[in-house]
Amino acid sequence: MNCEVKVKDRIGTINPIFTCQPAGAQYASIGIKDCIGIVHGGQGCVMFVRLLISQHLKESFEIASSSVHEDGAVFGALDRVETAVEVLLSRYPHVKVVPIISTCSTEVIGDDIDGLITKLEEGLLAEKFADREVHLLPIHTPSFVGSMVSGYDVAVRDFVKKFAKKGAPTGKINLITGWVNPGDVKELKHLLKEMDIDATVLFEIESFDSPIMPDGKAVSHGSTTIEDLQATGSAIHTFAPNRYEGGKAAQLLEKKFKIPSTVGPTPIGIRNTDALLKKLSQVTGKPIPVSLVRERGIAIDAITDVAHMFLADKKVAIYGNPDLAIGLAEFCLDLEMKPQLLLLGDDNASYVNDPRIKALQDNVDYPMEIVTNADFWDLEDRLKNKGLELDLILGHSKGRFISIDYNIPMVRVGFPTYDRAGMFRNPVVGYGGATWLAEQMANALFNDMEVKKNKEWLLNVW
Amino acid sequence: MPYHEFEVSKCIPERKMHAVVKGPGEDLTHALPKGYLNTIPGTISERGCAYCGAKHVIGTPMKDVIHLSHGPVGCTYDTWQTKRYISDNNNFQLKYTFASDVKEKHIVFGAEKLLKQNILEAFDAFPDIKRMTIYQTCATALIGDDMSAIAEEVMAERPEVDIFVCNSPGFGGPSQSGGHHKINIAWLNQKVGTVEPDITSDYVINYVGEYNIQGDQEVMLDFFRRMGIQVLSTFTGNSTYDSLRSMHRAHLNVLECARSAEYLCDELRVRYGIPRLDIDGFGHKALGDSLRKIGLFFGIEDRAEAIIAEETARWKPELDWYKERLQGKKVCLWPGGSKLWHWAHAIQEEMGVKVVSVYTKFGHQGDMEKGVSRCGEGALAIDDPNELENQEAMLTLKPDVIFTGKRPGEVAKKMRVPYLNAHAYHNGPYKGFEGWVRFARDIYNAVYSPMHQLSAIDISKDDYETGKGFVTRRMLSDAGLPEEAKASPLTGYTGKFDPIPDLRQKTYPAFERRVAPAVAE
Repeated sequence: MNCEVKVKDRIGTINPIFTCQPAGAQYASIGIKDCIGIVHGGQGCVMFVRLLISQHLKESFEIASSSVHEDGAVFGALDRVETAVEVLLSRYPHVKVVPIISTCSTEVIGDDIDGLITKLEEGLLAEKFADREVHLLPIHTPSFVGSMVSGYDVAVRDFVKKFAKKGAPTGKINLITGWVNPGDVKELKHLLKEMDIDATVLFEIESFDSPIMPDGKAVSHGSTTIEDLQATGSAIHTFAPNRYEGGKAAQLLEKKFKIPSTVGPTPIGIRNTDALLKKLSQVTGKPIPVSLVRERGIAIDAITDVAHMFLADKKVAIYGNPDLAIGLAEFCLDLEMKPQLLLLGDDNASYVNDPRIKALQDNVDYPMEIVTNADFWDLEDRLKNKGLELDLILGHSKGRFISIDYNIPMVRVGFPTYDRAGMFRNPVVGYGGATWLAEQMANALFNDMEVKKNKEWLLNVW
Repeated sequence: MPYHEFEVSKCIPERKMHAVVKGPGEDLTHALPKGYLNTIPGTISERGCAYCGAKHVIGTPMKDVIHLSHGPVGCTYDTWQTKRYISDNNNFQLKYTFASDVKEKHIVFGAEKLLKQNILEAFDAFPDIKRMTIYQTCATALIGDDMSAIAEEVMAERPEVDIFVCNSPGFGGPSQSGGHHKINIAWLNQKVGTVEPDITSDYVINYVGEYNIQGDQEVMLDFFRRMGIQVLSTFTGNSTYDSLRSMHRAHLNVLECARSAEYLCDELRVRYGIPRLDIDGFGHKALGDSLRKIGLFFGIEDRAEAIIAEETARWKPELDWYKERLQGKKVCLWPGGSKLWHWAHAIQEEMGVKVVSVYTKFGHQGDMEKGVSRCGEGALAIDDPNELENQEAMLTLKPDVIFTGKRPGEVAKKMRVPYLNAHAYHNGPYKGFEGWVRFARDIYNAVYSPMHQLSAIDISKDDYETGKGFVTRRMLSDAGLPEEAKASPLTGYTGKFDPIPDLRQKTYPAFERRVAPAVAE
C-alpha cells in the first residue's frame, strides 16, 4: 500500500497543530446570538483563546471566565461559577444563553457544573432574573481529552441537545457548517440560496466580517438564535459536511428526533461540492439550477487555467483540522497534485475508519503518509532530517516558520490564519472556494518561482 | 480624589474601590485604587493566568532553551507565537515550543513517566540545545507530579544538560503577576550561583526585567556597551540560560520592569549584596537620567553624557516634530503592568499628548502609586479593567488613541478609536532615543490616518466633501499649525524599518581596565 496511516511515533508534542477542547467550545459559543460563555477554570484558558480567535478574525467578542484561583483549586470553585453567572447576567441584560465550559483544572477537581446549573435555575434565575429568558447549559471539555476539534463537536451537540424541540415540521434542513470561516458560511448560504433551500445554519458567523460604522456602535457577534437552535428538532434533514465538527449533533438529532442526516463529505473542491448539491437536491426535491452549472463552469475554467500547466505533480504537505486537511488532499488530487503528508487532528482513533482515508489508501499510486495525533515536528523533522521535498504547504499560521525557514511557499488555510490579511473572508468550500484555493496555490507557486528565480520567465507568456 | 463608579458596574459595588479620578491638587494620600486582588468572576476581566506570567512572559524570552510545558497541549499552543520577543540566535524561542501532551490516562495514573520521556525526546530532537525549562500547568499541579524529581533524574543520567523547574500553575494568584513572582524566586533558588562568569570590565551589571520586545534589549545593551559596561545577563530577553546562572557576580542590578522582576533584584540584594537601580528605557529624559544614574554609580558619568549628547542631537528634532503635531491629543494608556508609569509622564512631556486614563491588568498598588502620581489632573485610573468599563471610559473620555493589547484594540477599533499595541508595539523597538521617535511616529500615524477621518462620515446622512482625491497625514496634522511649523524641513522619522540588524553587526571600543583583573575571580 502506498498510502500509510500512522500515529505520531513520539510521545510529546513539539510545536502543536491544535489547541485543547475548551477553545473549540468557545469558538462554537461565539456563533450564537445573545450568548456569552463562562469558561470554568484559570483565566488564561479564556484570555488566550480570545486573543487567538481575535487574531484570526481581527474582531473582538465576549467570553467570560470564572477566574479560578488557588483557593478554588483546593476547596472547589463552584462558588466562582455562581458569582460569574450573577455578575454576567446583571451587567449584560441582553444575554440569554450562558454555556458553562469546563477545563482540565475544574474537571480534575470534579466540580459538578451540572448540579450547579440545576441549583442556579431553581435559585438565582427564579429569584433574581425571573423576568428574563436565560438558558444555562454545561459543556464538558476537559483539555486532556481530544482537541479543539472534538471540543467544537461536543459543544455543537450540547447546544443542539439543550434547545432542539420537536415542533411543527419546518420543511427546513439543518446545515451544521463545522469549524469554518465567515467566508465559508457566506459561500454555503449562497449555494443554498441558489438551490432555493431554506436552512437553519449552525453557526451563523458570517457576521464576524463586520464593519466600522460612523456611529462607532458596530459589534461583532454570531447570529444563530435560540429559535434557530430550537427549530433544528423539526427539520427534514441534517447536513453535517464536516464529520468531526458537527457529526455528533447530527447523530443526536437522528437518534432523538428521527431526523435523517448526511455526515460529510467536506465540500472542498468541485467533486465534493457536486456531492453536497446532489444530496441537497435529493433531500429537498429542488433541482440544481443553471446558475450553479454556470458557477461551476467558471470555477472549472479558472482551475483549468492553472491545473495541468502549473499545479500538476506539485508535492504538498497539508495540516489542520481533519475534515479540512482531508478535503484539501482530495481536491489537490483532482488538481493533479501529489499530497505527500497529511497531518491530522488529535488522537481520535476513528480517523482510520474514515471512508475518505480508506479511499486514499486504495487509490494513491505514490508514497503518501497520513499521521494522526500529529505535531509540526512531524513535518519539520521529515524536511530537515528525512529528505522530504515539498513544493507547497497548506495549513494555518502556526506553521509559518516551517515555510519561512525551509523556503517552501505556503497557502494559509484553516484556523488560525493571523499572519495574512483577510483569509477569514474567503471561502475554501463550494465552487467559489475551489477557485480561490486553486488560484491562491498557483499564485504562491508563481511568487516562489520569482523569488527563487526558478523558471520565472515561464510566466511571460501565460 | 474620589473613587470612580462606573455605570456598568453599579451592580458589583466592590468594583468601586478599583478606579479613581485624580482631582485638582490631589496626591496619592487622597485615594488609590485597590490592586492585585482576586478577580470578580464573570466581569470579563482582561487578566491572564500565573502559568502565562511565568512561562510566556518571563521564561520563554531565554533564547537557547527548550521550553516545555507539562500539561495538556492547550496551554502551550495558546501562548505560542503571541509575543514579539526576538533574539539574536534566529529566534529559537519563538519558533519552538514543547508540550508533554497530558491525556486522560495520565491524569488518572500520573504523568511523571510521560514527562521524563518528553524531556529525553525533546533533547534528542534538538541535539545542540542542552538547556531546558519545565513549566507546571493547572492539570499537573492538581495531580501532584513531582517535576523536580524527574528533572534531577534526567540531569543525573545526562550530565551535559541542565533543567530548570517552575511550579506556577494557572490558578496560582489573581493574575499573571503570581507567575512572575514564582519564576523569579524559583530561578534564584535553583540556578543563580551555579555558573561562574568571565569578568571583562570594571563595571558589571545584570539588566533585569527586560524582554527584548522587538529588540528593546539590544538597543539598551548598545548604550551599556558604549559605556564600557559588561552586561552579565539580561533577565530574560535575548539571554542565554547560563548567563542567568551567573547573576550573582554583578556589581549592580539595573531594573527595568519592576513589576515583573523586582522580586529577583530584592533577593539578589539580600543574598549577594548587589544593589538595585531602577531605570526607564522609555523617553529621552528618563533614559538620559537612567544612563546618568548608572554612570554616576560607576564613576563614568562622562561616558553617559557623551551618549546622551550624541543621541539627543540625532533624534530630538524628529521627536519635537511629532510633539508639535500631537499636542493635546488624548490618550488612554492601558497596558498590562509597568508601562503605565514608564510612559505616563514621558509621553505627556515629550510628545505633548494628554493621558486621560491609565489602567493596569496585573499591576499592584505600587504600580498605581507610580502611575497616578505621574498622571495629570482628571486622569481616570482603573485596576483590573473589564470590557464594559473600558467601553464606558472610551465613550466618556473620547480618546484620540489608545495603547492596549491586540484584542481590546479590536473593541476600540469598532468604537472608532485608533489603537497601538502597548505590549508588542506596532513598529518598535520603542526603547532608546531612536525607539522613542518610532513610538511617536506610530502614534502620529494612528491619529492622523486618513482612513480614520473617513470612518466618521455617514454617506447616507452627512453632506460630505468630495473635492479631494486624497488626503495626507500632513494635511491633517498641519492644518492648525503656525506657518513656521508648517515650513519645517523635517518630515518625521528617518530611521530604518528595522534598526536591530545594524546593532548586531556593531563593534565596540575596548576601555582600559581600572583595576587589574583578579587571577581567580
